Amino acid sequence: MPVDGSLGLILPEIVLAVAGMVVLAAGLTWRRSRLPGILAILGIAASAAALASRVWGQTAEIWSGTVMVDGYANLFKAIFLAVAALTVLVSMDYVHRNRLPAGEFYLLLLLATVGMMFMTGSLNLLTVYVGLECLSLASYSLAGMLRKSPRSTEAALKYILIGAISSGIVLFGMSLLFGVAGSTHLRDIAAALNSNPAMAPVLVAGMMFLIAGFGVKMAAVPFHMWAPDVYDGSPAPVAAFLITASEAAAFGAALRIFMVGLPALQAEWTAVFIVLAVISMTVGNISAILQTSIRRMLAYSAVAQAGYIMVGLAVASERAVSAMLYYIIAYAFMTIGAFAVVILLGRHYPSEEIKDFRGLGQRAPLFALTLTILLLSFIGIPPTAGFFGKFYLIQAAVAADLAWLAVVMMINSIISIPYYWGVVRTMYLTEAEDKAPLAAPASLRWAAVIGVLGVLVLGVFPDAFVQLVNAVQVVPVLLSAAF
Amino acid sequence: MLLTALVFIPLMGALLLAFFPKERVDAIRRFALAVSLIPTVLVVLIWRQMDFSQPGMQLITQAPWIPSLGIQYKLGVDGISFPLIAVSALVLPLSVLASYTITHRVKEFFLWMLVLQTAIYGVFTALDYFLFFIFFEASLVPMYFIIGIWGGPRKEYASLKFFIYTLLGSAIMLVGILALYLGSGLRTFDVMVLAEQANLSPTLQWWIFLAFFAGFAVKVPIFPFHTWLPDAHVEAPTGGSMILAGILLKTGTYGLFRFMLPTFPDAAQAFSPVLAVLGVIGIIYGALAAMAQTDLKKMVAYSSISHMGYVVLGAAAMTPMALNGAMFVNISHGLISPLLFFVVASVIYDRTHTRMMDQMSGLYTQIPVASRIMAFAAFANLGLPGMAGFPGEFFTFVGSFPVFTGLVVLAAALGLVTTAGYHLWMMQRVLMGQPRGEALPDISPRELVVAAPLMVFIVLLGILPGIALRFFNEPIAVLAARLGGM
Repeated sequence: MPVDGSLGLILPEIVLAVAGMVVLAAGLTWRRSRLPGILAILGIAASAAALASRVWGQTAEIWSGTVMVDGYANLFKAIFLAVAALTVLVSMDYVHRNRLPAGEFYLLLLLATVGMMFMTGSLNLLTVYVGLECLSLASYSLAGMLRKSPRSTEAALKYILIGAISSGIVLFGMSLLFGVAGSTHLRDIAAALNSNPAMAPVLVAGMMFLIAGFGVKMAAVPFHMWAPDVYDGSPAPVAAFLITASEAAAFGAALRIFMVGLPALQAEWTAVFIVLAVISMTVGNISAILQTSIRRMLAYSAVAQAGYIMVGLAVASERAVSAMLYYIIAYAFMTIGAFAVVILLGRHYPSEEIKDFRGLGQRAPLFALTLTILLLSFIGIPPTAGFFGKFYLIQAAVAADLAWLAVVMMINSIISIPYYWGVVRTMYLTEAEDKAPLAAPASLRWAAVIGVLGVLVLGVFPDAFVQLVNAVQVVPVLLSAAF
Repeated sequence: MLLTALVFIPLMGALLLAFFPKERVDAIRRFALAVSLIPTVLVVLIWRQMDFSQPGMQLITQAPWIPSLGIQYKLGVDGISFPLIAVSALVLPLSVLASYTITHRVKEFFLWMLVLQTAIYGVFTALDYFLFFIFFEASLVPMYFIIGIWGGPRKEYASLKFFIYTLLGSAIMLVGILALYLGSGLRTFDVMVLAEQANLSPTLQWWIFLAFFAGFAVKVPIFPFHTWLPDAHVEAPTGGSMILAGILLKTGTYGLFRFMLPTFPDAAQAFSPVLAVLGVIGIIYGALAAMAQTDLKKMVAYSSISHMGYVVLGAAAMTPMALNGAMFVNISHGLISPLLFFVVASVIYDRTHTRMMDQMSGLYTQIPVASRIMAFAAFANLGLPGMAGFPGEFFTFVGSFPVFTGLVVLAAALGLVTTAGYHLWMMQRVLMGQPRGEALPDISPRELVVAAPLMVFIVLLGILPGIALRFFNEPIAVLAARLGGM
C-alpha cells in the first residue's frame, strides 16, 4: 500500500471534523444566529466535494488495514453526507425555535456522521468499533438536547443505557472473534475459520453477540425496545437522523462483517437474520397500527422497515445486497421527507398526535401532498421508490428459494396499509376547526420537496440507481483474491 | 402520440388547475370541462385512424422505461378497449358538467376529477402490466377522495370500505403480476408477449388466475365481492357515481377480456362454470335486492350489480356471441347507468331533496321533462328493445344458452322478470300518483345538456347495434378461437 497520499483518502472525514469545530466556534460566538447551520451545510458540501473529487472511484486499504476505501464505503459515505445535509436542513428552524445550542447540535451531528463513515469504511473490527462509539456517543447527547423536556431526557437516558450495554455486547463478540483469529481484521478472521473449522462454535458465539449488538442499532425486534421512546422523545430532526443514517450505518457495517469476515458461517447467520426480519416486520407493523402519536407510529414503522431491509441480509446474495442498498437510499428520502412534515406539524401542535393532521390537505396542501406520496412509498405502491425497494428484495428472495419470505413481506405490506393510509385520511377527509394556512419555513419546504423528488426519481427511473448499487461490492475484489 | 396525449392531457390540466385561485369557482369549472373535452376530440381522431377489420393492437406507442426489469411504456388500442375509451370520453366530460352543483372545496374536487381521467384512460390503453397497475391503483385514490370528501352522510364509512376492498383486491393482483413476471421467465411485463408466450405450469396458472380474479372481481363487482358497491355508489356525489358505475366497473370486466381470458385460457376454461354461476347469482341477487330498496339511488346501485352479472355470464360462456354480448352490455351499461344516476341523484334529488321512493309521487305532473327522461332511462335499463340495453342482454343469453342452458333459463326467468318488475314498480311509485308539495322547477338547460348525449347514443345503439359490434367483432373472434369455444 502506498503510504504517501493516503491521508487524502480520508479527506472527506477530515473536512467534516474540521467543519464541526468551525461550527462549534461559530455557535459559541453568535448564539442566536443561523450561521452555524449554514456553516454545517457548507462543511458537508465541502466534504462531499472532497469525496467526489479525491476519493470516488478509488480502491485502497491504508494504514495497516485499518481503513478501507472502496466503492462500497464511498457509496455509504455519500448516503451519510446526503442524510446529514437533509437533517441540517430540517433542523435549521427547529434548533432556532427550540433554542437548542446550535454550535453543539451541529457539531455532534457532523461527528456522528464522521463516526458512521468510519464504521462502514473499514474491514477492521477495531475501526468499526471506534466508529460505532463515535456515532453512539454523539447520538446519546443529541437525543437529550431538549434539556427542558422530560421526554427528551428520558429518551437520552434510555438510549445511553441500552446503547452502552449493546456496545459492550458488540465488543464482547469482537473479542471472541479476535481470540480465535488473533487479529481484528475480517480477512484474518475468515482465514482462521477456513484453516481451523473446529473453532466454529466460538465464532458462532461471537457472531450471535455481534448480531445482538448491531440488532440494537438497527432497531430489530427483539432489540427494539428503546426505539419508540427515543424516536418519540428526542428532537424531531435527531429522530429522523437516527432512523435513517444510524440504521443504515449499522446495516452497512453488519453486511461487511458478516459477508467478509464470516462467510463460512453464512448458513448460521442468515438463519438468524431470517427470523429477525420476519418478527421485526410483523411486530413493527402490528404495533404501529395501535399508535396515536405520529412519531411513535413512524418509530414502529421504522422497526418494520428495518425488517424489510434485513431481508437483504437474510438472503445475502449479490442481488439481495444491491436491493438492500437501494432500499436504504429510498428509505432515507422517505423518512427525512416525512419528518419535514412532522416537524412542521410540531411547530403548531407540540403533542404531535396523528389527529393533529386534520385538515392539513387544506391548511398546507404542499406538505399534505408530499406526505401522501411518501406514505404511498412506505406502503410500497408503484411508481414510488418504496415499491422498487420491496420488489428487488422480493425478487432476490424468490431467486434464493425463499419465496415464503417474499410472501411474508407482501402480507406485511398489506398489514401496513391502514396505519399509513390513516394519516392521509386524517389530512384530507376530516376538517380542522382552524382552517388558517400553516406557515412553513422555506427550509422545511425544501426538505419535503427533496424527499418527494428523491422518492419519485428513484421510483420512476430505478435503473440508474440499480446500476450504481450493482457496481458496489461488499466483498472487495483485492481481498477475494487472497482466499 | 395520440394515446399519450389522451392519457396525459387531463393530468396536465390538473397541474395547471392547481395554480388557479380557490375563489374563482366559475373559471375552475369551465377549465375542468374544457380539459375533459380534449380527450373526446382525441377519441374522434383515434376512431378515424383505426382499422376495425384488424383484430390486433393499433396505434402502439412504445418506449423502454426500466430496461433492466423489462418494463416499458407501452400504450395501444384495439376493438376491445376502443369502445370503452369512447364511452369514457363521453361520460367523463358529462360527469364534470353534472358536478357543477359542487360548492364545497371546488378546486380540489375538479383536480381529483382530472387526475381520475388520466387514470381511466391509462387503464384502458396500457399494454404493460406494470404501467397498467399504476393506472389501476391511481384510479383508486381520486375516487376515494371524491367519495370521502364530497359524499353523503355516511361518506367516511363508504369511502373506507371502497378503499379497503379494492386495495386489498389489487394488492393480491399485484402478487399475481409479480408471480407472472417471475414465473414466466420472460423478463418482461408486456401484456401481449406474456399472453402469447408465457409457458406456465397448470398449477401456477391457476394461482395467478385466482390472484387476478381477486383484483378484478372486486372492481366488477362479482358476487360475493360486491358489498362495497351499494355504499360507495349511494354516498358518492353524482359525478362520482356516474364515473363509478359507467366506467370504473368496466375496468374490472375489461380486465377479464384483456388479461385473464387471453393469458390464462386453460385456467379460465376450468373456472368458467364457477364464473357463470357467480354471474347468474349476480343477475338475480342484484335484481331482487334492487326491488327491495326504497332509496332510489340504492336501487340503481343494485341494478348495476345485476347488469354486470350479464357481462360475467357472457365472458364465462366464451362463445363468440356471448362474448360479443358481454362487451355490448359493458358499453350499454356505461351509457345507461350514468344517465340513471344523474337523473336520480341530481335532477330529482336537487328538487325533491329526498331519494326515498315513498316520499315521492306524481313527479310526472310536477316536472314532466325530467320525469320523461327518468322513464326513458328506466326503460333503457330494463332492456326494452330499441334501446341500448336490449341487444347486449339478448346476445349474451343466446350465446350462453348452448353452454349453460339451465343457468341461462334461470337467469332469464328470474332476472329479466324481476328487472322489469322493479323498474316498473319504481316508475309507478315515483312518477305516477298525486303530486305532493308545491310546484317544482323543471329540468335546467345544463342538466339537459348532460342527459341528451347519453340519450342519443342509447337510442342509436339500440336501433343500430352494429355500430358498436363492428368495433370488437374481430378481436372477440380471435379471443373466442383462442379459448376454443364455438
